[in-house]
Amino acid sequence: MTNALSPPRTIRAIAVAWVLALVVVPVFALVLQSFAESPARFWHAVTGRAAWDALVLTFVTSAIAATVNALFGTMIAWVLVRRHLPGKRLLSALVDIPFAVPTLVTGVVLVALLGPQARIGQLLGDWGTPIVFARPGIVLAMLFISLPLVVRMVEPVLADLDPDEEDAAATLGASRWLIFRHVLLPAIVPAIIAGWLQAFARCIAEFGSIAALSGNIPGETLVASVHILGELEAGDATAAAAMSVVLLGVALALQPISRALVTRSGAHG
Amino acid sequence: MGSRSSRRRRPSGVGLTVAALLYAGFLIVLPLAALLLGVIENSGPTLRVLASSEAMGALSRTIGLTTTSLVINLVLGVLTAVVLVRDRFVGRDVLGWFTDLPLAMSPITIGLAFFVIVGRNGWLQPWLEPLDIKLVFSFPGMLLATLFVTFPFVVRETVLVLSEVGTSEEEAAATLGANPWQTFTLVTLPNILPGIAGGAALLVARALGEFGAVLVIGGAISGVTDTATTFVFHAVEERQLFAAYGMSMVLVALSVTAMSAFNAISGSLRR
Amino acid sequence: MSLPRSSKFFYSLMTCVGLAFGGTACRSKVEQDTLVLAAYTTPREVMGAFVLPQFKEAWRERSGKELEIQESYQGSGAQSRAIVEGFEADVVALSLAPDVQRLVDAKLVDTEWTQGKHEGIVTESIVVIAVRPGNPKNIHDWADLARDDVEVLTPNVRTSGGAMWNVAAIYGAAMRGHAGVAANDEGAATELLGKILANVRVMDKGARDSIVNFENGVGDAAITYENEVIVSQRDGKAIEYVVPSSTIVIENPVAVVHAYAKKHDRVELSNAFVEHLFDPKVQAAFADFGYRPVVDDAARRTFPAAKDPFTVRDLGGWDALQKQIFAPEAAYDRAMKTVTK
Repeated sequence: MTNALSPPRTIRAIAVAWVLALVVVPVFALVLQSFAESPARFWHAVTGRAAWDALVLTFVTSAIAATVNALFGTMIAWVLVRRHLPGKRLLSALVDIPFAVPTLVTGVVLVALLGPQARIGQLLGDWGTPIVFARPGIVLAMLFISLPLVVRMVEPVLADLDPDEEDAAATLGASRWLIFRHVLLPAIVPAIIAGWLQAFARCIAEFGSIAALSGNIPGETLVASVHILGELEAGDATAAAAMSVVLLGVALALQPISRALVTRSGAHG
Repeated sequence: MGSRSSRRRRPSGVGLTVAALLYAGFLIVLPLAALLLGVIENSGPTLRVLASSEAMGALSRTIGLTTTSLVINLVLGVLTAVVLVRDRFVGRDVLGWFTDLPLAMSPITIGLAFFVIVGRNGWLQPWLEPLDIKLVFSFPGMLLATLFVTFPFVVRETVLVLSEVGTSEEEAAATLGANPWQTFTLVTLPNILPGIAGGAALLVARALGEFGAVLVIGGAISGVTDTATTFVFHAVEERQLFAAYGMSMVLVALSVTAMSAFNAISGSLRR
Repeated sequence: MSLPRSSKFFYSLMTCVGLAFGGTACRSKVEQDTLVLAAYTTPREVMGAFVLPQFKEAWRERSGKELEIQESYQGSGAQSRAIVEGFEADVVALSLAPDVQRLVDAKLVDTEWTQGKHEGIVTESIVVIAVRPGNPKNIHDWADLARDDVEVLTPNVRTSGGAMWNVAAIYGAAMRGHAGVAANDEGAATELLGKILANVRVMDKGARDSIVNFENGVGDAAITYENEVIVSQRDGKAIEYVVPSSTIVIENPVAVVHAYAKKHDRVELSNAFVEHLFDPKVQAAFADFGYRPVVDDAARRTFPAAKDPFTVRDLGGWDALQKQIFAPEAAYDRAMKTVTK
């Protein structure tokens, strides 16, 4: 049913054609390629030693990074909304910086700062806790790139909250901690979880920063995206496609949950 | 008692603030400050390397990809957003779902998807070969990948604004006899410009920083399909750290400038 | 009708810029040839510093045309596959013959590529072990790399030619009885390989990435081409190398990609380039950058001798090695299985 405000049919056709050609066809090709040989091949490409380890490593490091950022991101959002600081706008701009930095640059700079040729890196190596070319480095890169996602998810929800509720609770004698637990937290938990999910989905797909600072040892520091590139370079497009489909599937499966939480919390997606 | 409750009404939370600031500082400020310092300390050799034809070529390719994607996806993004918000048809939600899809995909996956289609053994090869069209290891291929990667940004921001704005003004214009095109350009467009500008900011930042997809589909061939990001990648491989940090700084500067500009436009338009 | 001064300035500036761009565009339409070179990671320096500029000179004298050379450097295996996938290179300089054979199988390189000078091999080297100055961990041979206190760097065999040479060297040395294990014992050789792989900290995509990481402080030893270490030393990096008692002689092939050279109408140019690589002066330049030249007496330096240098042919040829080591479930895969816990 079109009304006077609907765009003309041609416009609709153009939009559909563009999305079809640009998005649908390549993704379709990817999925088809992953099943190009046989379902058994797909299974093997995903559950083979190196592949499975890569998936597990990717999911675990992403979950850790998302969790840490859920904590600190919420704190930063709280500071941005509730605290009156000089330079708060600077902090807000800072939080957006990871959006502006190419991921490869993030990796290169982290290697320069914490790699074995830097003083800090040498110290870390001596203590037996290297960051670059080791798993902590992967988590660190993920922390950098996903922080804005959590902050920007929680911030608007916090801002929309009515402080009267908290004032009322305070007048009734509730401690700060109780206010936080029973008034503030329930209101922002959906947003925090949505932020976690977005951060997680972002991290599992990350390539540039991790490629620069991970050791690429299968089972140790090889993440899924780098593994996929390796499969492609080694001539196995089908295996690469299979892993890609799994990664994409996980990200897409989390989307509806995230969206539902976002609507519940009243924030923007 | 009175002073205690008034203290509670304005909780101090200093510890929390300090922790948050320290986290943001160490995670974000430190690496960038290190980059800036590194570039400033070695500005001479850095500038010389950046002035080389290889560096300039790579940078111009990145800028070309970014501006072309911006123009194309601004038009088509706004168009798609209008269809998603104002139109009703079977499959509209599916359209919206596909629009968001690139955001969920890893850059390597995106490069791989296009590779599967346009590579030498790809699906479209039987059609491309006789026309001598090369989409793999070439600029057009990288453009396709960049378009894919940046498409969702303008659409999403525009959808947000468009839904907020509502249709009352447009209905008024229609009753006054304006045709759809006039309604769009004179009523709708000015209202949604802030959203479009915001989307453009994200688009430019994303396009400038694109690495994985253009690496796979373009091959990063020096002088042909090298982009600013793959230039940094090669520079690190060639032990040319001045070049790597210098180009990194250029990218960050471009990205921050473009984002600030678009966001400023967006902000001033909202008022 | 007179424009304000600012507009005049703006328009004249734009005109100048336009003319400048137009000028450069015009200049590039002057007679110019292009050559696309696809190489593995290590010859970057010698190509950029000497071989390519020298060839551009020679081509200008020979044909009167300016020459633009587009270069790509990545892991030999990855490069070879990229060409199969559509990267239209005219000439390839790869790390090992099987990567050229892949192109022959894809009908891109003629089977006669080995009939040329020196059977298509343009440079040689040996697999060595790069160590820190003074060799603090006292690494002298393959068995030392299997020690618990040693961290090793070697690239990924799926993309890097250098990695394949490294593995062939270890396996070959073990099979020949020079690596501290019984000779001709496949199981022992695989076990040694496994122990060394277990000590690998970073598995890079190419030999160059690997040595750069070593220079940056990662690892105690890097298994690599001798020429990579020499180039690194040329660059002022503080690393040394140890020649194992038994090691493989690396032979780097070069070939014209006939299918693409014909398509681009650059067959003469491509053949001339390959010819050029065997010129004694160019071979001498290769030697300066650490390669062992194939043309006798071309080197201006002496290279250390290994006690037991062997070639791929001594191990039965690449086909045998593929089956024994690199095929699925063969020695390399079995060794890697013992690595991942």
